[in-house]
Amino acid sequence: MKTRTLTPPACPMNRPDAGVTPPPGSWRLSWALGERDYSILIERRACFVCLGLLAALLAVSLLSLCLGTLTLSPREALAGVFGYGDPVSAFVVQELRLVRLAAGVATGAAFSLSGCLMQTLARNRLATPGIVGIDNGATAFAVASVVGLGTSLAPPPMALAGAATATAITFALANDVGTRGYRFIVTGIGVGAVFGALTQLLMARVAIDTANAAYPWTVGSLNARDGAALVWLWCGLAIGLVVACYLSRAMRILRFSDAVAQGLGYRVRACRYTALVVSVALAALAVAVAGPVGLVGLIGPEIARQLSSHRGVSLIASALSGAIVMVAADLVGRLLLAPIEVPVGIVTAIVGAPFLLWILLRPAPRFQS
Amino acid sequence: MLVLLASLLLVGVTSLLLGAGDVGPLDAWSVLTGGGSDEARFVVESLRLPRTLIGVAVGMALGVAGSLIQAVARNPLAEPGLLGVSAGSALAVAIALVLGASAATLRISVAQLGALAGCLFVLTMARVNGVGNDPVRLVLAGAILSGLLGALTSLLLLVDQRSADEIRFWVIGSLAGRRLEDLRAILPSLLFAGVLIVAIARPLAALALGERVAVGLGHHPRWIRLLCVIAVAVLVGAATAVAGPIAFVGLVVPFVARALAGPDIRRTLWLTLPLGPIMILSADILARLLVAPSEMPLGVITALVGAPVLIAVVRAHRLPAL
Repeated sequence: MKTRTLTPPACPMNRPDAGVTPPPGSWRLSWALGERDYSILIERRACFVCLGLLAALLAVSLLSLCLGTLTLSPREALAGVFGYGDPVSAFVVQELRLVRLAAGVATGAAFSLSGCLMQTLARNRLATPGIVGIDNGATAFAVASVVGLGTSLAPPPMALAGAATATAITFALANDVGTRGYRFIVTGIGVGAVFGALTQLLMARVAIDTANAAYPWTVGSLNARDGAALVWLWCGLAIGLVVACYLSRAMRILRFSDAVAQGLGYRVRACRYTALVVSVALAALAVAVAGPVGLVGLIGPEIARQLSSHRGVSLIASALSGAIVMVAADLVGRLLLAPIEVPVGIVTAIVGAPFLLWILLRPAPRFQS
Repeated sequence: MLVLLASLLLVGVTSLLLGAGDVGPLDAWSVLTGGGSDEARFVVESLRLPRTLIGVAVGMALGVAGSLIQAVARNPLAEPGLLGVSAGSALAVAIALVLGASAATLRISVAQLGALAGCLFVLTMARVNGVGNDPVRLVLAGAILSGLLGALTSLLLLVDQRSADEIRFWVIGSLAGRRLEDLRAILPSLLFAGVLIVAIARPLAALALGERVAVGLGHHPRWIRLLCVIAVAVLVGAATAVAGPIAFVGLVVPFVARALAGPDIRRTLWLTLPLGPIMILSADILARLLVAPSEMPLGVITALVGAPVLIAVVRAHRLPAL
């Protein structure tokens, strides 16, 4: 009897891939590294959307640098950014507007990315950290650190602790009702109400000066951002974006039922926990800078979703559109009633609430992100 | 009922006895029994007594309004504060102030109009795409509406610093510094609402059995609902005008009352009469004592009590149908 030798089946991973055609509407980049070939698919539409959003963000940022009590021409503003030109405008741009812009971009991107992650993992379009009470938890703890309840921790770590606490409570309470329905959201609203009341309690207990120092955290404003918190936020955002990109494939799969995701070989729990941690951390760090402006976390992903195709979860686009919304809302708040400044939290609430109502009331709700 | 009345009396007396200032329980007690120093007499008679009486009125109004709106919306989670009725009335007052009204004259009717608008808006919303059929969804819509109206109020207050000063202490919800005249001003509205409620209590109980049953018994559901909404708006507007927006009272009180009395709206309404003041007064006492010598907003305490009740109701697997 002749023995047959088993040849291993040709594994596509090990072969040069000349004949592979990418799916319509996407580019395929492939390169060889050592023994194996790697390739990534880039969706053309996502690419264009991101570039467009980036351009819009730059435009809004330039506007935000130019407009204000002292109106500058774009040329002057740009000169100011790099330190040339008139010393007054250079001072205004570098010391005041640029920092504010950095805070706006970072908080907007963080809130929005965090919202998008949480919406995806809860499979619920209304489940953003701002709505399910996580922002309020972070705010309560950040205020506690400012008014000094025996802690000497800076607001960012305290905000992280608060957000983690609120998340743990909300998810524990929602454990048996699941995260899909409205009950989860209303549970979150209840948790948020408790933390909101605690914030007010803290504010009422301290002297008026301390309360004033903590006040920005209760309305959401870019006016009183703190340098150290901003550095924390940018670091967190950088890490968060990397992790989010790494997770984006998994997030796409997580929109299906757990069984499907598991069948496709994803470790559902691990993915979900990672996404949750990133989302909560980003929300907390953003709160430590700007206070609860959580509605951005709802508007940003929604804009990105309208622009992008339905195939993937557009994390980068969400972050970009969140940044645009935040910078624009801050600009409107500064200009609307100048010289009074409307806190950005109020602007986003007025713009965002009708939007939320529309999501809630429209005819055939598909509440999957 | 007797127990409730007794505890109401107890809470009322406690509210007279305890306070943030220097006048201790013993001094206050001697005032109540006819003696006491001038200072203690002043504090008890012109500060704590109005405060307690207003607390009783506000508690009754909010508790009854909560029961009614839950019956109309057929929703155990409906609550004037959560659904944006209080926020509507706060916004109306803010608008009136910005337009140049003085704080003293216009407030009550304006607050009631705002409450009516908020109420009608949220109940209309409940009819869109079956939002009202899902209790939790309605609350969500109401919470969003509340947020929107609250943001608009803050915006108005930012625009107009003068009214901001007048209204700042009012907008957070508190019983501090209210005078007996305020109570007198809202009494007619409360009486009017009371008459209205006595008139619709029977049809409302029938309506609880279902629309068809109510029609079969010769009632007109539309009219009942409309009257009910008017009563709610009058009550909430009056309470908000005096004490500012206070959330969660209208949720907790009917919840407890139903647990004690069962589903009949008439018995529930009777029980809310003592229960509402008990909750408001206890919360007010806490608000005075927790951060003595300063005070904290009443709404904070009610939220701390009410939000867990909200969560508990939401978590109950079978929402009690109304």
